[in-house]
Amino acid sequence: MSDDVGPAPEAGTDAGSTATADGSAGGPLAGRPVLPVLGLLMLAVAAAFAFTPLVVNVPGWLLVFLEVGILIVLYGVLVLGLNLEYGFTGLVNFGHVVFFAVGAYATAILAAENPFAGVGLGVPWPAAVLVGVVLAALLGVVLGLTSLRLRDDFLAIVTLATAEIFHDLFAAFRSLTGGNVGLGGVPQPIKDLTANAETNLFVTLLVFGALLVGTYGLIQRLVTAPYGRVLRAVRADELVANSMGKNPFTYKMQSFVYGSALAGLAGGLFALFNGAVAPGFFTINVTVIVWIGMLLGGPARNRAVLFGLALIMSLQLFTRFFSGIGPITQTDFGSIRLMVIGLILVVVIRYKPEGIFGDPQELGVDQ
Amino acid sequence: MGLIQNVLFGLVTGSYIAIAAVGFTLIYGIVNMINFAYGEYMTAGAYVGFVVAQTFGLPLPVAGLVAVVGGGAFSLVVAKGFFTPLQDAGPIPLLLTSIGLGFVFRNGFRLIAGQETRYYDKIDTTTFRIEGVPDLGVGGVNLLGDFFVTSQHLTVIGLALVTFLATHVLLTRTDLGIAMRATADNEDLALVSGIETDYVRAAVWVLAGALAGLAGMVIGVQTNVNAGIGFSQLLPIIAAAILGGAGSPYGAVVGSYIIGVVMSVSVVVLPTTATQLGTTAAFLVLIVVLLVRPSGITGQEVREA
Repeated sequence: MSDDVGPAPEAGTDAGSTATADGSAGGPLAGRPVLPVLGLLMLAVAAAFAFTPLVVNVPGWLLVFLEVGILIVLYGVLVLGLNLEYGFTGLVNFGHVVFFAVGAYATAILAAENPFAGVGLGVPWPAAVLVGVVLAALLGVVLGLTSLRLRDDFLAIVTLATAEIFHDLFAAFRSLTGGNVGLGGVPQPIKDLTANAETNLFVTLLVFGALLVGTYGLIQRLVTAPYGRVLRAVRADELVANSMGKNPFTYKMQSFVYGSALAGLAGGLFALFNGAVAPGFFTINVTVIVWIGMLLGGPARNRAVLFGLALIMSLQLFTRFFSGIGPITQTDFGSIRLMVIGLILVVVIRYKPEGIFGDPQELGVDQ
Repeated sequence: MGLIQNVLFGLVTGSYIAIAAVGFTLIYGIVNMINFAYGEYMTAGAYVGFVVAQTFGLPLPVAGLVAVVGGGAFSLVVAKGFFTPLQDAGPIPLLLTSIGLGFVFRNGFRLIAGQETRYYDKIDTTTFRIEGVPDLGVGGVNLLGDFFVTSQHLTVIGLALVTFLATHVLLTRTDLGIAMRATADNEDLALVSGIETDYVRAAVWVLAGALAGLAGMVIGVQTNVNAGIGFSQLLPIIAAAILGGAGSPYGAVVGSYIIGVVMSVSVVVLPTTATQLGTTAAFLVLIVVLLVRPSGITGQEVREA
C-alpha cells in the first residue's frame, strides 16, 4: 500500500495552490459579484455628474491627482495586458507601446474633425475606437505569427524595433498623422458632456476606472480558469505543455493578441480623453514604465502589477510638487525622476526579482 | 546627390557603427546579454573626449585616447557593480537591468551636462571633389553623379579599419584573445582548461567599453555631443550585431556597413517626405533578418524548438 503514499502529498500541494489562487481572486467576498457592483457604481456616479447639472469643484492642487489618476487607470489596462503576456505566458514584449499607439492613432484619424494637420474622417467615436482595437489586435497577430517563435531576448528586440519603426512612421507621414505636431480635433465625448474641467477629469477617472475594473475581472477570470493554468505551464516549460497536448504557440498567440487588443483599447480611450495624439505620447518610456510597474508589483498577480504601476506613476506627483522648490528646475526634476525609476528597476531585479507581492516559486526566480 | 555620394556617407556611418557593434557583440558572445546600457558607454566616451579636446584644448588624438580609456573604465565599473552579480540569472534579468541602468546614466548625463547640444570647434578638413562623373538616372534615382570626400571621412574609415585589425590581432594572436574566444565558445570547457573566465570577462568588458568610448568620440566629432547620442545609435548597432550573427565580431563589421549603407541610401530612394526614415529602414532590415535567417550572416540559432 506504500504506493498510495506517493501521490497523496502531491495532490495536497496541488489543492493548496488552487486555494491560494482562489483566495487572491476574491478573498472573503469570494463568490459575490464585488467587481461588477463596483464597476456599475462607478459608472452610475459618473453618469450622475455627466447628465445632471451636478459639478465637481476641487482645489487646483488636487487636479494633478485626478490627471495622474486617469493616466494610472489607462496604463493599468496596459499593465494588465502585459502581465497576461509576460507574467502568465512568459512573452518578453518590449514594444507594448506600439499597440497603445496604433489604437490611439487609428481612433484619432478616424474620429477627428478638421484637425490642423493630418487626416480626420469624422467617423463616430465608438466605431473609431472599435477599429483601433481591431487594428491593434491585427498587428498583434502579424507580429505574433512572425516573431513569437524567437528566443526571449530576440523577441524583446523585434518588439522594441517594431515600436520604434511605428514611432518613426507616425512622425514621418505628416499628411496623414500630422507629423511631430500630431493630430488634434479628436472628439472628447466626456468633456462635451461635463460642465467644467474638474468634472470632466472626475467623470473620466470614474469611467476609465470602471473599465479597468471590468478588464481586471475578465483577466482574473481567464487566468484562474484552467486556461490560465495552461498559460502558466507554457511559461514554466513549453515542452511539458506540449506533451500534455497543448500547443504552446497557440496559447502564446492568444495571450499576445489579447494583450495587444487591450492596449489598443487603452490607446483609443487615451485619444478620446486627450483630444489629440502625437508621437511624443508613445515613446519607449511608456513601455519601460509599464514594465517596471509590473516587475515592482509582482508579475503573474493582477492586483500586484496594478499596485506596482500606481507606485511608479505616483512618482510623477513628486515631480510636479517639488519642482520649483529650490534651485532645481522642472527638466532637472524630470531627469531625476527617470533616474529613480531606472534605479528601482535595477534594485528590484537584483534583490526582489519576484516583485513585492510575487511568488518566487511560481516565477522560477528562487534558485 | 547621387548614389555614390550616399554610399560614401553610408560607409562613414557604417564605420562608427561597426566600431561600437564589435564591442556590443563581444559582450553578447561572452556574457550572453543584450546590453541596452551600451549606448551610454558611447555617450560617456563622447563627453570625456569633448572635455579633453575642447575644455583642456588637447589635440584630438589625445582626446580619443582618453575617451577609449574612460569608456573601458566606465564599462568595467558598471559590469562589476551591476552585471557580474546577475551573470547566472539568465538573459532577461540582465537585459532588464541594462535597460534600468540606461535610464539612470542617460538622465544622469542630462542632469550633469544639461540639455544643450555641444559642438566641436571647426576642425580643418580638406575636401576632395570628384567631378565630371556623368549622372545616370534610373527611375528618378541618380546612380552615379559627382561626389566628394573629406579628410575627416577618410580618417573615420581609416580609424575603423585600424580598430578592426587591432581587434583581429588581439582575438587571434594573443593568449588573452584566444581565451576570450574559448570562453565565448564554451565557458565550462574553458574553465576546466585552466582559463580564468572571470578575468577574461573583465577583459571583454574593458575592451567593449573602450570600443564604445572610441565610437562615441568619433560620433561626437562627426556630428555633436549630447546626452542622447549613444542611445540614438543603439538600435542600429544592435541591428548590425544581429545582422552579422550575434556574438561574431567579423559578422558585426559586415552587418554595420550594410546597415550604414542602407540607412544612407534609403534617403535617396525614399520620397522626400520620408527622408527621416533612414533608421526605420535599418530596423526593418533587422526584423526581416530575424524572421528569415535569425542566425544572421554567421552565428547561432536563436529560435526555440
